Amino acid sequence: MSVTHTTCSHSAADIAVSVRDLRVTLGGQAILRGVNMHLHRGQLVALIGPNGSGKTTLLRAMVGLQKPDSGEVRLFGESNLKKALPRVGYVPQRLALDRSFILSVREFLALRLRETQHWFWHRHRDTDDRLHAAMAELGAESLLDRPIAALSGGQLQRVLIVFALLKQPDLLLLDEPTAGVDSPGEQDFYETIAEVHRKHKLTVVLVSHDLSMVYRHASWVYALNGVVCCEGSPEHVMNADSLKEAYGLNVTPYHHHNHSHGPGGGHAQ
Amino acid sequence: MSIFSDIEPFMLRAFAVAVVMGPLCALLGVFVTARRMAFFSDTIAHGALAGIGLGFLLGFEDPTWPMVLFSLLVAAAILWLKEHTDLLTDTIMALLLSGSVAFGIIVLSMLKNKRGELHRYLFGDILSVGPDDVWLAVVLCAAIGAWLFAKLSPLALLTASEDLAHVCGVRTRWLNYAFVLVLTVVISLSIRLLGIILVTSLVVIPPAAARNLARNLRQQLILSLIIGLFGGAVGTVASYHWDIPCGPAIVMACIAVFIGSLLASKLWLNRPVKAKAV
Repeated sequence: MSVTHTTCSHSAADIAVSVRDLRVTLGGQAILRGVNMHLHRGQLVALIGPNGSGKTTLLRAMVGLQKPDSGEVRLFGESNLKKALPRVGYVPQRLALDRSFILSVREFLALRLRETQHWFWHRHRDTDDRLHAAMAELGAESLLDRPIAALSGGQLQRVLIVFALLKQPDLLLLDEPTAGVDSPGEQDFYETIAEVHRKHKLTVVLVSHDLSMVYRHASWVYALNGVVCCEGSPEHVMNADSLKEAYGLNVTPYHHHNHSHGPGGGHAQ
Repeated sequence: MSIFSDIEPFMLRAFAVAVVMGPLCALLGVFVTARRMAFFSDTIAHGALAGIGLGFLLGFEDPTWPMVLFSLLVAAAILWLKEHTDLLTDTIMALLLSGSVAFGIIVLSMLKNKRGELHRYLFGDILSVGPDDVWLAVVLCAAIGAWLFAKLSPLALLTASEDLAHVCGVRTRWLNYAFVLVLTVVISLSIRLLGIILVTSLVVIPPAAARNLARNLRQQLILSLIIGLFGGAVGTVASYHWDIPCGPAIVMACIAVFIGSLLASKLWLNRPVKAKAV
């Protein structure tokens, strides 16, 4: 499978994530078959590809949740991922929370701050102020005292993003953040992520199925199908030929510039 | 002194163990229930029966250590089979539970002078708590309690999401193993008091009762601890006064609190017991 890409000149210090010949096999099936990529700092990078193309596996390998058979991931030049993790915020696809677990949003967020040695008995005013400000930034401050297991999909995703951002990371990894979010909420959500990217000047890596949103917000796109089929600017990657190579079928992206969803195309599931 | 001089020493020993183990089981239970590990607790409790049988067979007068070791072996077997086979977790646990019980009963029935021990370990016996048991319970509970308090935050995060805990720097694999180790030791040491059949109830009922009243995890932990303490204390005292088995008395005290908490949450707090997604 040929790899097409547009060039982008940066020095090694500008690389936030570097992936070299990454191979992962799960249940006897080769999910990643030699992935190479260099993600530059400050970019909003989208990973697209069909189901089973290895997007989630790749993201998990980036934070050490998935051990590769071979190859290497470096975060900010560091091959020991544990050392780099304090600079990373990660938003998983979903949390398998038991309803009986009554952890409140406030408690959940305090766990990230590690100012929690005392949370069993006390609430700290400084921590409270910080959590309130962080939640207010995403318009979710009213959720602070709700049990996290009782939140809707969209509310939980916002809380997870606040959790990921609390320690001011340099890299934010989002695994299909709009799974379980309804359609208008989805659009809002991408706007929020783009806003967070602009405001915090982070590198954002986003796994997404929503091609129209990727087209609008991403600065760099990787089309994945076991290997990197194509990389480049959204305009370059999201033409019919590149997508056909990644998805193995005809997908016509709907490149719209207004705030409405395009009919039919623009979504590849 | 005058209060305690009238009370039999065995009663004081049982009371001491109950007020130490009750809160500890209840505190651990908050995480056990949230991580859906109640059946796991039940399996390692039943695994103790095989350890007791083996202990007597090997000539131990007091089978505490063989009991703890065999429970640990059962816990390790569950984890190993989960990781290395495609069997469902429930299947693995049912297999080990019935296997341990069968082995324990066969061994105890072979040892003619130990047949009476079966009833004592299945249902708990207030008389079987010796002075050494009290010291063992107090020292272990102090150590485990201190560990639990130190690890409350990582445990809460691990319960919410193992992936997030990993990204936040928690050594998830080790914490999982440590939690299983601690749970196994606490369960097997509580068997003397509550018996194999009822020991899981001390891990499950106090957190469930606390869940009915609590608004967040902090409240659930504190309430669960208090209910565990109350159940242990009231149960042993009731057992002594009315000459009823200790384990069932502790369980009934906890059940009474659970019913009270359920009614309170429905009638006075006007709060749905089941959290609803909005």
